[in-house]
Amino acid sequence: MEMLLSGLSNIATDPFALILSVVGVAVGIIVGALPGLTATMGVALILPMTFGMEPVAGLLLLSGVYFGGVYGGSITAILLKTPGTPAAAATAIDGYALAQKGLAGKALGAATLSSFTGGTISILILMFLSPVLANIALEFSAPETFALAVFGLSIIASISGKSLVKGLIAGMVGLLMATIGLDPILGFPRFTGGIEQILNGVPFIPIMIGLFAASEAFKSLSEMNAKEKVKVKIEKILPSWPEFRNLIPTILRSTGLGTFIGIIPGAGADIAAFVSYNEAKRFSKDKERFGKGEMKGVAACEAGANACTGGALVPLLTLGIPGDAVTAVMLGALMVQGLQPGPQLFSNNGDLVYTLFIGMIICYIIMCLMGLLASRYFAKVVEIPKQILTPIILVLCMVGSYAINNSFFDVVIMAAAGVVGYFMQKYDFPASPIVLALILGPMAEGQFRRSLALSSGSYDIFYTRPIPLVLLLLSAITLLTPIVKAFWQQRKTARR
Amino acid sequence: MKLKRIFTSLAVTALIAALAGCGSNNAASPSGAKAEGGQDAYPKKPIELIVPYAAGGGTDAVARAFADSANKVLPQSIGVVNKTGGGGAVGMSEGSKAKADGYKVTLITVEMTTLPPLGLATFKPEDFRPVARLNADPSAITVKADAPWNTIEEFLDYAKQNPEKVRIGNSGTGAIWHLAATALEQKIGTKFNHIPFDGANPAVTALLGGHIEAVSVSPAEVAAQVQAGQLKMLAVMADERLDSFKDVPTLKEKGIDLSIGTWRGIGVPKDTPDNVVTVLKDVAKKVTEDKSFTDVLQKMNLGVSYADDAAFKDAIQKDSELFAKLVTDLGLKK
Repeated sequence: MEMLLSGLSNIATDPFALILSVVGVAVGIIVGALPGLTATMGVALILPMTFGMEPVAGLLLLSGVYFGGVYGGSITAILLKTPGTPAAAATAIDGYALAQKGLAGKALGAATLSSFTGGTISILILMFLSPVLANIALEFSAPETFALAVFGLSIIASISGKSLVKGLIAGMVGLLMATIGLDPILGFPRFTGGIEQILNGVPFIPIMIGLFAASEAFKSLSEMNAKEKVKVKIEKILPSWPEFRNLIPTILRSTGLGTFIGIIPGAGADIAAFVSYNEAKRFSKDKERFGKGEMKGVAACEAGANACTGGALVPLLTLGIPGDAVTAVMLGALMVQGLQPGPQLFSNNGDLVYTLFIGMIICYIIMCLMGLLASRYFAKVVEIPKQILTPIILVLCMVGSYAINNSFFDVVIMAAAGVVGYFMQKYDFPASPIVLALILGPMAEGQFRRSLALSSGSYDIFYTRPIPLVLLLLSAITLLTPIVKAFWQQRKTARR
Repeated sequence: MKLKRIFTSLAVTALIAALAGCGSNNAASPSGAKAEGGQDAYPKKPIELIVPYAAGGGTDAVARAFADSANKVLPQSIGVVNKTGGGGAVGMSEGSKAKADGYKVTLITVEMTTLPPLGLATFKPEDFRPVARLNADPSAITVKADAPWNTIEEFLDYAKQNPEKVRIGNSGTGAIWHLAATALEQKIGTKFNHIPFDGANPAVTALLGGHIEAVSVSPAEVAAQVQAGQLKMLAVMADERLDSFKDVPTLKEKGIDLSIGTWRGIGVPKDTPDNVVTVLKDVAKKVTEDKSFTDVLQKMNLGVSYADDAAFKDAIQKDSELFAKLVTDLGLKK
């Protein structure tokens, strides 16, 4: 407690750190909102600038970029169906549907509040429960992570939209594409056709940008001459209290899930967002509304993704192991500041660590205020005529997919994915199962085979450990429920 | 409304550009290099440094620290460009095919000698002309703190008596730490169960969780946990003991002649003229003596290790032969 108070006073008397937090959050939101520029890249690009700074100021700048980057993806996902980050691909499902109903403002407001709540609670968990939770990270070995990936894949059943079969087809296509590239265990190149650029797998973010954003842009090009939709005025950003109260259980559940997934090494905000979405739907009474513009869908993804931030910092600070790409960069930042993450960090640098925690919560407060203030203006994007907006989106798609690896090859991939995505939309194939399969396919395959390497080839490793067993059973339930339900429904109607 | 939107995005772009610029603003500070370069005066324009790995990683950190320090002594600035993909193959392949005028130099790494024998690269080690080595890190055998082995001898004895029982984690099949562990098992005449992970960090995590018995990754990658007393380092595969881990013996001390590890340096296309190489080599030497460069590396537990073009070339030659043989022995050749 004393540590917390001194942390608070340290921050309050450090205006430079506060200003940098504001700058960090602002940069993060922009980086996150732009397709192709992810939170990871934002943090990596800002990192060299912090070398000369005081530890607190430098690390808060990076935290601001990190938090803002995770949140910022939702803005373009909701307004333009252009997920700025992989996690926002889940937000786009219901967020864009809400925007088309004229509820863009409220969707943005709900996303902001959920991100803020999820993120802040996860930092509180990080603050008080790190030592207890750190060991979860170590429990997760290859079979556990494999089971988590399978569970994630079972979510395809709930994001398929109108037709389960079409969702499964899309998921299978994604899984097949995920086999391209170096074999994760033996290192043998598969289906690469000698192209160096896909040696590490098909570049995933250009495909995502193509499937979501470029395909939507192509669609609006083809409808350019159609009559403009009736404009809906954006009046409210803040959801009303009853509306928000309705979201609270979803936000809290997603926060728990997100923090937990953040702690697990190798699983990040993207998986947290999809899992949170799935669970929000599972616990909802009105499952039909998901995919057609359900506020809970947006709240779940955003709370889950941002809760991941605090979770991912748990193993980083307590064990010195980064759970995902962003925290790997943060590890470098800490070390350059002369802070060796690990168990001694809290005892050697307790004062500084608690100052950082307080600063991180302040970052989230800044993010919330900035998001709510700016949402009103962001939401106006939907009023821009298509003739102007569509070319801008296409340019953003190109720049974004080029920026990831500074590679024109990725732009070509994006364009191809855009064309495929256009026809998928036309024939009602959902795009998000492909994205999910591309995220989880390589993870499932690699961890499955690594498990077998660990057990010298014995399959016992998957059902003699509690975590994989439970997760695999849960996946079976998730995947089979809609099928069994449909079967029952059929029998019922048949009897009548 | 439209105008406002456009204005906002312009302002935003400017902000990002300004922020990005800050990183390399200390460019082109006055120095003697300008006066010295009488005849050809290389460099006349900014130099591009290709980093074949993503921003934020260890190689990227070395590159950016190098560029920052080099900008103090060079009349032109060095800009870092990350060209990722193919485990380094994309960036190094581009670097090897660049115009041989010294304006596109590459941060070459040990993968330059491992990717070609693995059949994963369209370039050969000979396509590069080495300029200078900046950093080198050996492989280290690290086990859990509560493991039954307290010395490298005990560990290797156990491995010899229990072939294929010791699970040793590496950062990926064919990666340098896999080759290091393989070289070790060949030297002592046993077999490990090699477990490839997606990078060094997941391997260390698995070791901490007790899912494997040992890792062969670099000291930097286990330093935090070793200092915290969760892991213990039994030996390093270096010629001499490391400054940061003085009480960890080398394998050579223990009668196993094995020195293997990763390195990073500067390389240019093979036909690059001598005057360019001389300028860059001198810059590299000054950089490795510059405190701001050594500080960054030290804090990240990376070893500073300068070698000039001739010595660097010999070391690369040696590595190429060793890895070509190991890859063939392992049956990893594509």
